[in-house]
Amino acid sequence: MNAVWRVARAAVRRRMLQTVVIGVVVWVSAATVVMALGLLASSAAPFDRAHDEQRGAHLAAVFDSSAVDRLAGTSGRAGVEAAAGPYALAGVEAADGGGFGVAGELTAVGRADPAGAVDRVTVWSGRWVGGPGEIVLNLPPGAPVAPGRVVDLAGGGSVTVVGLAFSVSQTADAWVTPEQATAWGSTASQMLYRLVDHATAADISRGEASVSTGLPLLGTQSYLAVKQRFSQEAGVYVPFLTVFGALGLAVAVLSVANLVSGAVVAGYRHIGVLKALGYTPNQVMAVYLVMVTAPAVVGTALGVCTGDLVGGPLVRDAVEGFGVADTGVPWWVDLAVLVGMPALVAVVALLPALRARRQPAAAAISAGSRPGARRAPRVQRALSGTRLPRSVSLGLGVPFARPARSALTAAAVVLGVATVTLAVGVTLSVTAFRDAANPTRANQVDVMAAVPGGTPADGPDDPLSELAPRLGDAQDEAVLRAAPGVLGVVASSQQLVRLVGGNETHVVRFYRGDASAVRPRVWAGAWPARGGEVAVSAKFLTQTGLALGDTTTLEQRGKRVPVRIVGVVLENVTGSVLGTWETLESLLPGSRATAYQVTLDPDADRDAFARAVAAGDPGIRVTPPRGGTSSQAVVIISTATLLTLLLGGIAALGVFNTVVLNTRERRRDLGVLKSVGMTPRQVTSMVVTSMAGLGLVGGLIGLPLGMVVHRVVVHAAAPINSPDLLLSVVPDLLLSVYDAPTLVLLPLAGVGIAVLGALVPARRAARMTIAAALRSE
Amino acid sequence: MHSDIAGGPIGEVVVGLTDVRKEYSDSVALDGVSLEIRAGEAVAVMGPSGSGKSTLLNLVAGLDRPTSGSVAVHGEDLGRLSETGLALFRRRRIGMVFQFFNLLDDLPALDNVALAAQLTGTKAPQARRRALELLDELGVAGRRDTYPAQLSGGERQRVAVARALVNRPALLLADEPTGALDSRSGEQVMDLLLDLNQIGQTLLLVTHDQRLATRCASRVVEVVDGRIARESAVARS
Repeated sequence: MNAVWRVARAAVRRRMLQTVVIGVVVWVSAATVVMALGLLASSAAPFDRAHDEQRGAHLAAVFDSSAVDRLAGTSGRAGVEAAAGPYALAGVEAADGGGFGVAGELTAVGRADPAGAVDRVTVWSGRWVGGPGEIVLNLPPGAPVAPGRVVDLAGGGSVTVVGLAFSVSQTADAWVTPEQATAWGSTASQMLYRLVDHATAADISRGEASVSTGLPLLGTQSYLAVKQRFSQEAGVYVPFLTVFGALGLAVAVLSVANLVSGAVVAGYRHIGVLKALGYTPNQVMAVYLVMVTAPAVVGTALGVCTGDLVGGPLVRDAVEGFGVADTGVPWWVDLAVLVGMPALVAVVALLPALRARRQPAAAAISAGSRPGARRAPRVQRALSGTRLPRSVSLGLGVPFARPARSALTAAAVVLGVATVTLAVGVTLSVTAFRDAANPTRANQVDVMAAVPGGTPADGPDDPLSELAPRLGDAQDEAVLRAAPGVLGVVASSQQLVRLVGGNETHVVRFYRGDASAVRPRVWAGAWPARGGEVAVSAKFLTQTGLALGDTTTLEQRGKRVPVRIVGVVLENVTGSVLGTWETLESLLPGSRATAYQVTLDPDADRDAFARAVAAGDPGIRVTPPRGGTSSQAVVIISTATLLTLLLGGIAALGVFNTVVLNTRERRRDLGVLKSVGMTPRQVTSMVVTSMAGLGLVGGLIGLPLGMVVHRVVVHAAAPINSPDLLLSVVPDLLLSVYDAPTLVLLPLAGVGIAVLGALVPARRAARMTIAAALRSE
Repeated sequence: MHSDIAGGPIGEVVVGLTDVRKEYSDSVALDGVSLEIRAGEAVAVMGPSGSGKSTLLNLVAGLDRPTSGSVAVHGEDLGRLSETGLALFRRRRIGMVFQFFNLLDDLPALDNVALAAQLTGTKAPQARRRALELLDELGVAGRRDTYPAQLSGGERQRVAVARALVNRPALLLADEPTGALDSRSGEQVMDLLLDLNQIGQTLLLVTHDQRLATRCASRVVEVVDGRIARESAVARS
């Protein structure tokens, strides 16, 4: 082993550049794989992870309080693994409809403790309730709400929000002490169950039948239904992350395979010499395995650290809404990469090393490191007759001398360009969706007149918290219309409304005036033209099971208004409903606008406008249009950018390695060419051209591949894809995002990757000393 | 042999080395070498292995740079030329023949020769015509489409000579041109070089083949331990 180690160490030192390239490619590849697998693992089952971590309830059952004494006994019934409860249930509503910042009427559960055998609620801000008059809201970590707010209740009195907690099982809107729930007149009790069999809806039904036999059951909630709601949220980015993860793996494996096999092939002569010295075939193989695996181990370790550092925040962003406590890259991903990447390198090295092992020493020595002659005679011959500069035509023929190596390099470029194409397409689609959902124009400003329902106002620092219009709705609109530079005003009011028959609260926006400039784009159907008509988001349809043309009923403070769904808008907000002012008048007569969207003359003086508004009514506030970039869009765009840079970098490193190997093998040829008068610039041009040609081919193949993948991803991630909702067609604006200049530029990304990778070794080749090169043979 | 030669007026100094020293990291290859070669001369540089004769040839070809002293070819101080300038100089002024031919294995004989012409900007058809003329003159036109690996040693060297001549160089440099050839092929190459010199091609040979030197050269320069030990005129045999 000593002889093997000594020779391997010497080989590593002698081929320092190659060693460094192997280390760097493996480093970047390992980091990419860690991120890709981390994102895949986290996005594949965030709900399941969170549910397991919290020992979430498979079944939440609500019983009439009359049976409260018998409920604890249900924990021993057939099929029940664990149970918690009974907890008293009560409804609570803020005096101001949106006072809690989450919904009109909340279902508050009386629990003394967030822990327990089932549904271990995570308190992520503030503390758990300790006495009467305190409440903890159920919100996912990161929600823009802070504890400390005192909320006046509709029925009199007030409560203080002392903490924010999250139950992935969604067993409550809020929690209070049991005594508080009882004091609010609780008439129902909640039991939470973990079931032995819970994989299917039928399992849950059997469990429900088991626990409710002989008891006054009022209603149940299956964790499968909750999971379905979460999955819809995750569905937007999971296909995207899956594809990026797969691309990352493919590029990394291809680059490492190309790199390592090239290194071993380049060392054939060395292998022959070692055999001639008396090294056994196995010892020779061991030398080469050590030589390529040593830098791979170092690269892998660095890559895992880098992947954890960079990938952790991405994973956290991707799954933060699920309330998963441990949101970093899973440990098994690190372990798999630490073991798998060096193993991959060893396996890839083993294949050519086995070939070398079988070769007699003399043959290995004479094979040397040059490719066999006449591999590319026809191509070179054809190219020599063209009008291209000779350095260019020579360069274009180089890849044909090593077709396998060139194919691997081109494949890495293909995937690199496909990644760039996909990333550009996804970014354009996300941007197109955002622009369609939240059209903002440069000459538009928002004027806030009240805290809209569903929008939390977080204390005195929140500019919305002090909104108190001094004038009436009509007068405020008149003030705005009279302000300098105003072309048009649209009033809107945002309310939290329930649908009759459901327990979900929906954000409904009502518009007054011509809303065409400010409303989301209509995807299917039409924009509501009169009272009793609404447009909804596709997610609303998925969530409620309703379809375009159906009629449903809005309910607010006991008042009900039937509405027909006449349009579907491009908006990614769950439960979003949009209607006319007439509908609002029917539902909540006398409501005032909570905001005005004002269109200004492009040349208008905004400061003068703001001054006029403040002078007319100091209680309303001019704000810039709110940014429409959702956290999902941020995750997608930032992941796309990061992975594109990484994958493009790996592909460029693959090209770099290929050029290093090619120029080393063709050292004598380069010396000859220089000796007959090839200038350094021509040498650089020849070497760069040799890869630019591959890059262009890679670009031309990678572009359509990336476009196809983009279509697949957009179809999979589109907010609606259910044929029974009559909206199975993904809007063209999300698919047709590649314009002509983009289509021309994207294949050039392949050339860019190739040139980037080839430039440094090409310049190095150009500076090579001719005499030394000619002696090298 | 009637190849047009651009060797310059007979008697003009083509190569001038003045007090040239060349050091490598751990040795001195040339030390204080001064030498002049005039147009139409055929000079053979002889000496034992490691004496510095190939280094001298490399310096004259502009393949390497002296540590000190100057190397001028056709009045051009090579030390003042950039890498690009040296490449252009080699293209226009120098033809080189190597012991191991140094042909490009991927190209057939004709393209190997034409390549050097194409690098100067000559169009492909014109470069091929010129290359074919030379191959014809050197007796290997019939092997124009053959790849180097399928040529005999003598044929390869003839193709290499054709490549060296394709741009009508002022100076033909040959580094052990018969060193890798059997005796018959060696004889043929010697005849070829002699013919070239007799029609005015200035020639600088590096060899330790006494027969080649006395047959082809008009002057022999002996280099020992990096210095010129002796210079002598030769009556060609």
